[in-house]
Amino acid sequence: MPANDQARRRVAVAARHGEQMEVRELKTLLVLMRDYGLVELEIEDKKGKVRLVRGGARTPEDVTAAARAASPLKMAVRHVEATEEEGAKAAGKIDLAPNQKLIESPMVGTFYRAASPDAAPFVEEGSSVRKGQPLCIIEAMKMMNEIESPAAGRVIRIIAENGNPIEYGQPLMIIEVI
Amino acid sequence: MFKKLLVANRGTIAIRIIRACRELGISTVAVYSTADKNALHVRMADESVCIGPPAAEDSYMNIPAILSAATTFGADAVHPGYGFLSENGDFAEACQRSGLNFVGPRARHIRLMGDKPRARRIMKRAGVPVLPGSEGTGVTELREAQADAKRLGYPVLIKAAAGGGGKGMRVVRDAAELTRLFPQAQGESELSFNSRKMYLEKYLERVRHVEFQILADLQRNAIHLGERDCSIQRRHQKLIEESPCPILTPRLREKMGKAAVRAAEVVGYSNVGTVEFLLAGGGEFYFIEMNTRIQVEHGVTEMVTGIDLVKESIRMAMGERLGLKQRQVKFDGASMEFRIYAEDPERHIPSPGVVTNHHPPGGLGVRVETALYDGYRVPVHYDPLIAKLIVHAETRAEAIARGKAALREYVIDGIKTNIPLHLKILQDPDFNRGEFSTDFLSRYQPPQPEAVHHAPVSKAS
Repeated sequence: MPANDQARRRVAVAARHGEQMEVRELKTLLVLMRDYGLVELEIEDKKGKVRLVRGGARTPEDVTAAARAASPLKMAVRHVEATEEEGAKAAGKIDLAPNQKLIESPMVGTFYRAASPDAAPFVEEGSSVRKGQPLCIIEAMKMMNEIESPAAGRVIRIIAENGNPIEYGQPLMIIEVI
Repeated sequence: MFKKLLVANRGTIAIRIIRACRELGISTVAVYSTADKNALHVRMADESVCIGPPAAEDSYMNIPAILSAATTFGADAVHPGYGFLSENGDFAEACQRSGLNFVGPRARHIRLMGDKPRARRIMKRAGVPVLPGSEGTGVTELREAQADAKRLGYPVLIKAAAGGGGKGMRVVRDAAELTRLFPQAQGESELSFNSRKMYLEKYLERVRHVEFQILADLQRNAIHLGERDCSIQRRHQKLIEESPCPILTPRLREKMGKAAVRAAEVVGYSNVGTVEFLLAGGGEFYFIEMNTRIQVEHGVTEMVTGIDLVKESIRMAMGERLGLKQRQVKFDGASMEFRIYAEDPERHIPSPGVVTNHHPPGGLGVRVETALYDGYRVPVHYDPLIAKLIVHAETRAEAIARGKAALREYVIDGIKTNIPLHLKILQDPDFNRGEFSTDFLSRYQPPQPEAVHHAPVSKAS
């Protein structure tokens, strides 16, 4: 996964943490990031945790890129550390309550929230779902694979972005089981 | 030129392919299982995608997942490396159907050479010597096998028609053994290849395994890049390969090389491939099979010819013509490869775990192909081959000295490796004289826990 994809995903995840963040607010954040030369921005919920990283300070991805140019072996070592760090962070973000289920992609492909480009999304954040109800589609080899809800409940977070490539095991949504 | 190539493999060969692509200016997509999240090939590729859980059949051998990754990430070519899907005709065909260039021969050549009795028939017809063995399409019934064995005379070797990797292979020395081991071998073949078709070959004692590297373009031009002696092997696993073969005379090399090229030409083969022969004491040689992919030991051929086989495989797949004629291929010096396995050298059992310190050797004529780094965890799910140490020198004696020095310099802490076994072999007087056959390693064999009969004539990649 290229570094900018990861950064992009992180912005998206962070944005969804605020309640009902508007596109306008997201744009404001992006402008702030540009003006202050931020390469990373993380906003946590309910008055807690802000993480801002200026361009001067190197992110793990930057270190990796630099090391990649210099030495493939050393690069690998740093990347492992970076990955573990990210893993810990990601685990922190996707902290599931006992009644929540993480929906992970069962295959590699492309994530779609609707059955066709002009159809309405299968679900939105807040939608109630039945067990077996389609949540999204993973397109693999021109085959549309519906991902069904494993339980009755409510969609509390949609993590993946429409139209993005998805890996095996990548988090897609969180369902709160009723 | 391809724009983006998906590497459908892991470990040392994935690294090797990524390096070749970087030189050619082709961007790369690595695929990986959840067990390989921190693997070096994932970090070295321009893009990477997780395609499944650790089990190979769900990830590295999962054709729909790999094709989906290739199309989702916009690759225009797929390199299968060795092992996994590299000799799967269905995969090669599925790639072409999905509009992806498969870096390897055509699907029909993979299937043809994968059907061993059929390959034998074609070779025999083309005048390539084959071992006396079962005629026709092979045998499925014990009494057919008994009749063949009687005709050939014991000992005979039972092999799986769809075989590979030594599965379904047994040496039998008399009729009673045949009755006992034929159903066993057949059961193994059924499990591994879903085929009950077997065939018998005359079993020769004290032979060498000598294979020829083939390079062929899509315009049906084929040349050979000399031989590799792979006689130092154990239970279908090669340990040391070298080029040139220490006992081959220029005349015999030319004769065998011509036979290998004929084997490729007669079927219209393209891309890289290897024709394997058994070489008997009197200079008689016999075709055993053709491997339709890059080999683990391709590096020794690269060292003595100066030809980058992985780059050539990509160029041939793009339809480029061979840039060399047979007489332009020059051989320089001697090269040896030592396969480093994550295994206990005393008991020959796998030794996975975390590599706490990795210091590869260096210097003139020393090459290390590995996916190891400090802190890397060798997973339990895959082949234990973790590094290939390749040396190149002017003479065989110098190559042995260089190999010894480099093996002593190589530090891999945290797991056990077979480096001590390599050092023992390099001290062996017979090895130093170049006098050995495929049963050489039995003198370094630990006591077998079970009375399994393993064929020393092997089939390793």
